[in-house]
Amino acid sequence: MVDLTMVLLAVFAGIALFFAYLAISERNLVRALIYSAVQSSAFAFIFYLLRAPDIVLVYVPISVGIYPAAILFLIRKTKEVEEP
Amino acid sequence: MRKFLIAAAVIVIAVLASIAATVGGALGPLFNGVRSLAEFYLLNVFNPHNQTLTAMSPEAVTSIVWDYRGLDTLFETVVFYMAIIGCVSLHRGIELIRKRSEAGLSRIVKTVTKILIPLNIVIAASIALHGHLTPGGGFQAGAAMAVAPIIVIVVFSRFFLLRKGVTKEVALSLRSMGLLGIALVALIPLIAWVTTGSAAYVMQNQVKADSSFSFPAYIGGSLVSGSLIWYNIFEFLAVTFGFTIVFLLLSVDEETVRKVLGGEEHE
Amino acid sequence: MSDVAIDLFLSNFILIAIIGTIGVSLYGIVAKPNLIKKIIALTIFTDTANVIAILIGFRRPPSVPPVFTGALTRPPTLEELRAFASSAVDPLPQALVLTAIVIGMAVNLLIIFITLQVFRLYGTVDMRRVRELRG
Repeated sequence: MVDLTMVLLAVFAGIALFFAYLAISERNLVRALIYSAVQSSAFAFIFYLLRAPDIVLVYVPISVGIYPAAILFLIRKTKEVEEP
Repeated sequence: MRKFLIAAAVIVIAVLASIAATVGGALGPLFNGVRSLAEFYLLNVFNPHNQTLTAMSPEAVTSIVWDYRGLDTLFETVVFYMAIIGCVSLHRGIELIRKRSEAGLSRIVKTVTKILIPLNIVIAASIALHGHLTPGGGFQAGAAMAVAPIIVIVVFSRFFLLRKGVTKEVALSLRSMGLLGIALVALIPLIAWVTTGSAAYVMQNQVKADSSFSFPAYIGGSLVSGSLIWYNIFEFLAVTFGFTIVFLLLSVDEETVRKVLGGEEHE
Repeated sequence: MSDVAIDLFLSNFILIAIIGTIGVSLYGIVAKPNLIKKIIALTIFTDTANVIAILIGFRRPPSVPPVFTGALTRPPTLEELRAFASSAVDPLPQALVLTAIVIGMAVNLLIIFITLQVFRLYGTVDMRRVRELRG
């Protein structure tokens, strides 16, 4: 019997790769930031599956809350769209 | 749409590569046991039978952060301090004025926020105070708590936060208090060494082979794990108000900043 | 398909997906001229490095988090401790990553402030423009 943890780890690693690519290739910075936050959520699930509750507690507020908020402040003060 | 297709293609390439690696026998299975160092930490972290090596805390991560590798964490706290000081010094000369302002989102959002912020504070305090018993600790609680000022700034505007007394100076002094508390707890063994004459080490928690100094592991019958609870509380203060300062400064509008910057150039 | 082969495939996929994420984020850091995009890529890169650190310390299920869950009011017996030590995951990478995330966030905030300062002084966050405007 294949362990469920391994399957879920593989699924969330795939999701993380998918959204990391989207975050890097997107020209609109706000959208890129949202993709990056989704990718961070996938990593939070990976941390949870790897039996690291301490890391989940610190990673969820920082990577899904504080960091997108800080970058949003930055984007609001600068330009929203990346020039080609 | 094209971007999603390319991203899906990336995933398909990863699947094909891992099939090739499986057939070819490259890479290999993950997770083949842990190292002996991990077994040492896990066996000794809450082991009253081995008084000289234990941290008297059931939480292995907090014990390593503040006891076994305590000095590393102390220096990382210094890096944190320097980074925040860098942010503050980039905004030197900018005054955060207080004024009455009814700016912000709608009344519903404000009411919901007023209900949620106390909950956030309670959760963060719980994470900090139980950091030596359950998953959590000073860093986690500080990160959870730092979300509160962000929400207040977004929903109410920064004037609300300033009017409630959370100014840059207050946040700076509370953060310095947290750092001072960390330094004090780290130096208490040395003070004990000077006053009683028996050997003690900086950041010592429980008794060591050649030192009888020890923080009390139990207070009134409840487990406080020696110095770990104090480090957690002070780190909670330092991290919370460090992030609060940064967000207060980030929320200053650009006209104010440009006025100060322009003034510096023409002096 | 045997269970061993599927398990090996899943292990390889996890590794390759993480290596792919590192590759994508490194591409973002090096090739994208926009400083904000560079910051986003940098955080993805550090997070992936942290995932690798935790991955090294993982133990095959059934395993438990590195928190002792026995009775706390009485001293635990040696058998309980040995059972815990032989089933929990490695706490050392978790402790290192824990501080790395918070400190990395503070350093990232400093980078964000410096980017803001670059925008105030040059009027752009595009590295190509900043290079032209220098001096």
